[in-house]
Amino acid sequence: MTNVQKRSMITGYAGLPFGKLSQCEAGCVGVLGVPSEVEHGSRTGTALAPDALRKMSQNVDSDFPVRGFDLGNLNPTGDWSHTLGQLVTQMLDRNIVPLVLGGASEVALTVLGALPDMPVVAAMPMVRQDVAVRSTNTVWLGLNNVQPAEVWDQICQRKMIWRSARQLDEGRGDGFEMCNAAILWVDISVLDLGHAAGADGLNPGGMEPETLVSVIGAMAYRWQAIVITGLAPCRDTRGMSELTAIETLNAALGNA
Amino acid sequence: MRDAAPMQFDAIPSFLGAPIGDLEDLMPHHVAVIGYFCDNLDRPAPEQRYLARQLRYASRPGNEQTNTIDLGDLNVFPLERNKHLCAVTAQCAAILTTGARMTLVGGDASGLEALGIAAQKVMGSDVAVVSVSDGVVDNLPKAHPIVLSVDLGALAGIWKSRPRRLGGLSPTQMIAQIDATQGDVIAAALFGLAPALDDRGRTETRAALAILHAVTERLAKGAC
Repeated sequence: MTNVQKRSMITGYAGLPFGKLSQCEAGCVGVLGVPSEVEHGSRTGTALAPDALRKMSQNVDSDFPVRGFDLGNLNPTGDWSHTLGQLVTQMLDRNIVPLVLGGASEVALTVLGALPDMPVVAAMPMVRQDVAVRSTNTVWLGLNNVQPAEVWDQICQRKMIWRSARQLDEGRGDGFEMCNAAILWVDISVLDLGHAAGADGLNPGGMEPETLVSVIGAMAYRWQAIVITGLAPCRDTRGMSELTAIETLNAALGNA
Repeated sequence: MRDAAPMQFDAIPSFLGAPIGDLEDLMPHHVAVIGYFCDNLDRPAPEQRYLARQLRYASRPGNEQTNTIDLGDLNVFPLERNKHLCAVTAQCAAILTTGARMTLVGGDASGLEALGIAAQKVMGSDVAVVSVSDGVVDNLPKAHPIVLSVDLGALAGIWKSRPRRLGGLSPTQMIAQIDATQGDVIAAALFGLAPALDDRGRTETRAALAILHAVTERLAKGAC
């Protein structure tokens, strides 16, 4: 973490103290910001997300449900991918839950790369080839619009579980098979544009914020790592997108 | 050089475009609306005190309710808690003694506390404080005096410029609860919202104004 950031914030995410990995105990969370920017498209701003989430988390009504430390931000100009992978592995070895605040989707792919055999619950509007090819099945939440045919075939052949945004908004979010441990990846562009516009992708007809929170909160998984990506706070001046991300994290960790 | 054009002043903004009055103007059938500029005592949050000012600016003449009077603002002493509560209680009691009904607008929940004490003092009987966000209380007798607590902090995040939580009530739900409140509503406090003072606050200001309108209508109905 840079000295500038330390000076500008008294407390870290959700009031957690800033600290080092060595200070984290087993069962805690380690919050790590990776302010990487999206490389394609016009809806930039994901680099601002970790600090925007920290700021917003000081003002919400709900309490952060677990103990832990905020480990600050990785320097996005260096080899952050390698460092992130190492930090995630170290945290998991010590039974610490990495809570990674992206950043662009590459941040989540790095976390997934550090846990190659772990099932993934992915909340995102479009399925991804690089996630679908993992050895374990992925649970897809909030799919919307036309999906790429070859990836979809793969998902159907392997009988992966999926729910569209509409199904979830209509309350058809049950029937998930129980799973002991998984990685949670929430891409904020899963949210409907009209409810929370602070995402790097446009998603009309996406999930409602309350649906995302309740669906994640109802999943009795033991999250091994949680990653938020695709949040572009400057696109949402009211902060509904940050608020949704924070309440989703609280809902996920509240089940821990 | 041209002669200066005669300067035009708009009417002084008032709650719901109501006429501006004083304590001596109050009659038993009146509903007094009063600003409460204190947001640092009970569930403090800066800028809640500006709600009264914002709602006056947002009020437009034309849909004012008969019998509603803008009584100005209460005198407050926010840095001296005891003196403040005594002063606010005394002022509220003075208004209620006229037989008029009243609503405090803006600030934090400390206004509700003082209003409850004042109502108790004036009515000399049990006065129930009924919270709109807690749902309808339907077991109160028609004549039971009630102070209505309208906490705008219970609005869902989508209605606010600076949301602090996703869940909550819509303005329509709040208005329905206000309309459905049984008993003799003698006073109300509308509080808990720090409105953005620029265009970002338009939605929450309009929501708060609609709720204030519903509160004054409910007060005007009296016992039901």
